[in-house]
Amino acid sequence: MTNAWYLYVFFAAALVCAGLLGLLGKRNLIKLLIAIEVIGKGVSLLLLSTGFAKGHILTAQALVITFIVVEVSLVATALALIINVYRHTKSLDVRNLAKLKG
Amino acid sequence: MIVQTALLIGVVLFSVLAIALRDVLRSAISLAVASLLLGIVFFKMNAPYAGVFEISVVAGLITVLFILTIALTRAGDEVRESRLVNWVFPLVFVAFVAVDALVMKSLLGKVPALAAGAEAGTFGEVLWKGRTFDLVGQIAVILAGVFAVLALFRKREKHD
Repeated sequence: MTNAWYLYVFFAAALVCAGLLGLLGKRNLIKLLIAIEVIGKGVSLLLLSTGFAKGHILTAQALVITFIVVEVSLVATALALIINVYRHTKSLDVRNLAKLKG
Repeated sequence: MIVQTALLIGVVLFSVLAIALRDVLRSAISLAVASLLLGIVFFKMNAPYAGVFEISVVAGLITVLFILTIALTRAGDEVRESRLVNWVFPLVFVAFVAVDALVMKSLLGKVPALAAGAEAGTFGEVLWKGRTFDLVGQIAVILAGVFAVLALFRKREKHD
């Protein structure tokens, strides 16, 4: 069981790392949100694999479903914000948000 | 185990593609494929409910939301990305995966685990009885999301 757990956690860490690198490097607002989604995938994989390895898969499933609901709410709000930012600045570049003028 | 490994490699591959691809629409579709593969991994882990949620909500609903946003902001997708990222990203990622492969196994042995009794009952019982507070929180989060979207898309007053 530990070997399977190791495999899942290994890939979960890789997903979180890819998402963090995307968050650090990208400038497109939609790309940043996609990077957050990738981190979320890593976290849900970690939660479920730990539940699977420790014999608590039902609790882990309940937590993952809660996490997915929160994720959907977050994405809907963030995409609405992105559309509003686009209407104001006519661009999706995150650097435009750093200008505090007007 | 080989099937799971292949699926997980696919998840990581499509997730990296989703971040690295230049076209945002292709990124969104790559993310959906990664979610689909992750859902299948959840099914293989004896977690059908989480798998169904992952495939229907994350691969379905969130992808639709992303594509809708991309369609609404189509003219603004010419964001110039930093060139440095194009070669730093794969380099750091490969280095991290190498360190991950070397260190993770010994790290996992050191993780302390709280003692807990074996699970009993069905998924429904665990969800309704054990995690009731989470369900209340979920309702609050959904309501907060709905109100946030309503507030962001409200019609402007004429004197604004």
